[in-house]
Amino acid sequence: MAARMKLKLKTVFVLYFMVSLMGLIYALMQLGQHCDCAEHNLPKDRAISRLQEELYRLQGQIRQLEKAKQPEKKQPPKSSLSTIFVITPTYARLVQKAELTRLSQTFLHVPQLHWILVEDSPRKTPLVSNFLMKSGLTYTHLNVPTAKERKLQEGDPSWLKPRGVEQRNEGLRWLREDRKTEPEDDGQQGVVYFADDDNTYSLQLFEEMRSTRRVSVWPVGLVGGMKFESPVVEGGKVVRFHTGWRPSRPFPMDMAGFAVSLRLVLANPDACFDGEAPMGFLESSLLKGLVTVDELEPKADNCTKVLVWHTRTEKPKMKREEALQVQGLGSDPAVEV
Amino acid sequence: MPKRRDIVAIVLIVLPWMLLISVWHQSNITSVLTAQKADTIGGRSDSRALKESSSLQSRDIVHVVRTEYIYSRPPPWSQSLPTLHIITPTYSRPVQKAELTRLANTLLHVSNLHWIVVEDSQRRTTLVSHFLQEKGLNYTHLNILTPLTYKSRGDGRNPRVPRGTLQRNLALRWLRETFPLNYTQPGVVYFADDDNTYSLQLFEEMRSTKKVSVWPVAFVGGLRYESPKINALGKVYGWKTVFDPHRPFAIDMAGFAVNLGLILSKPQAYFKLRGVKGGYQESSLLKELVTLSELEPKASNCTEVLVWHTRTEKPVLVNEGKKGFTDSNVEI
Repeated sequence: MAARMKLKLKTVFVLYFMVSLMGLIYALMQLGQHCDCAEHNLPKDRAISRLQEELYRLQGQIRQLEKAKQPEKKQPPKSSLSTIFVITPTYARLVQKAELTRLSQTFLHVPQLHWILVEDSPRKTPLVSNFLMKSGLTYTHLNVPTAKERKLQEGDPSWLKPRGVEQRNEGLRWLREDRKTEPEDDGQQGVVYFADDDNTYSLQLFEEMRSTRRVSVWPVGLVGGMKFESPVVEGGKVVRFHTGWRPSRPFPMDMAGFAVSLRLVLANPDACFDGEAPMGFLESSLLKGLVTVDELEPKADNCTKVLVWHTRTEKPKMKREEALQVQGLGSDPAVEV
Repeated sequence: MPKRRDIVAIVLIVLPWMLLISVWHQSNITSVLTAQKADTIGGRSDSRALKESSSLQSRDIVHVVRTEYIYSRPPPWSQSLPTLHIITPTYSRPVQKAELTRLANTLLHVSNLHWIVVEDSQRRTTLVSHFLQEKGLNYTHLNILTPLTYKSRGDGRNPRVPRGTLQRNLALRWLRETFPLNYTQPGVVYFADDDNTYSLQLFEEMRSTKKVSVWPVAFVGGLRYESPKINALGKVYGWKTVFDPHRPFAIDMAGFAVNLGLILSKPQAYFKLRGVKGGYQESSLLKELVTLSELEPKASNCTEVLVWHTRTEKPVLVNEGKKGFTDSNVEI
């Protein structure tokens, strides 16, 4: 009896072993080949892509609702990266939405970025408010109108009066107010950068500026009537500036060519841009109160690479639109452009 | 003795199952990896992206990945989405690198994108080659030089060939040579100039193109925007434009996208080179592909503006002088 039992057990074992071995071999063979699922995937494909469109829209709506509840909520996960506060003045014109759109598409790639968008307007416009809600960025929406006498009139050349002064100063003011509620050392970690809405920024620029201790500088392309303007670096320090226009300025560089550490901004609560400064001295009016030339930190490979370009967008020709509007047949103003 | 036999028996039972489980586990990872590396034409894919789900716009997850890398990478390739083939003609000028940079920053957000950059040059320039390699997008880099005779100002005998025509045609030819006629993978072809502005929603709208889809474009034709006219049935019956609305397709290059299958099935359809009146370039291609009633309106029945025909000012370089004030080795 026992022998037969043993025999049965033995056969069971052998059988089991053979079956599992064959199963394993079969599975291994299966893994090598791709299942040709082309036939039955198409309707699924369409369903999936439709659903993903829906998902995208719904996520946008959720983001809108979340932002509506807490408009200036800070990012909960505290990252080890210092925050870059980007102050952008903007004003209503035809290409405004397009400029802000492509600017936000660049910013979306940069972690720990807080966008401070300041409108040149007595009221916050719905175009910008809605745009910011859908953008997916961490932002602060401010507005301050430029006084009439300081404003450029139709037909004035762009260099006649400095632009964006009140808006940038408002951005600085808000930042100083906001940081008062966070006295600890962490709250002072950060970098402030002034980004105009028509320039072009590479992603590498933001990583270069993150390590700013006082004021860091780098070359700017397509500005000052030249291919690029740049600080000249010798022995790791800035010794002079390479620019073709008024090089005798204290800081002959463009707004896009420097970043200031948040600590420095908070430590000098009166430092701001001087709207009365002569042409081209706007940047110097801020920086001379903050730092000296040899304290500047050169970035972008000792100022040899161009990571930001001072591009300008053409004003779109609206001759036909204006002609139509005279006839009362202008394009639908309800469609936001 | 029986104890040893028991042990042997247990080992024999457990061993195949352990092998099976470990092999299955490995196969899951490799199949995901191969799925991502498929169709990477000349681009790099990010193996860390495994941690990301394949959903389109999960910005939270993208945020986590970004804190580990300095430069962002395109979203992981999805098996179920049609590929967008974006054709961008480009030419050397001071703002070229800036324009390509901000266009690439936009395209880096779009899944399943294949960027076809065609240079108007005799040889592929190092500026564009390095730029494309660094960015990490899926790309194909082509080039074709527009002969000077084509570029000259129009006169009666030699009307000027619109800029970018030869380059776009080269890209169409490349697509036809690369993909066979019976190519089953869905794809959409879009002509994106390097100075326009595109919203991310536009790329999702064009993904479902079956033949040719259309939408409004801002700042063209001297208007705030040009748009197709849509009737109550949701079909295009005309064009809301002032400049020659009787063109067969009164639409800008940025206002339409074509299904890849349609491009492949009509191999004779190209942009006409010569004898094309201003504004008729798009029609020269589209009339060979589709009729007015077959057009698919997007952007909420052509009521939203998702693309802007922005133009960048030519930078003033007066201070460079004859010899060039700035170091010519520095790339801008």
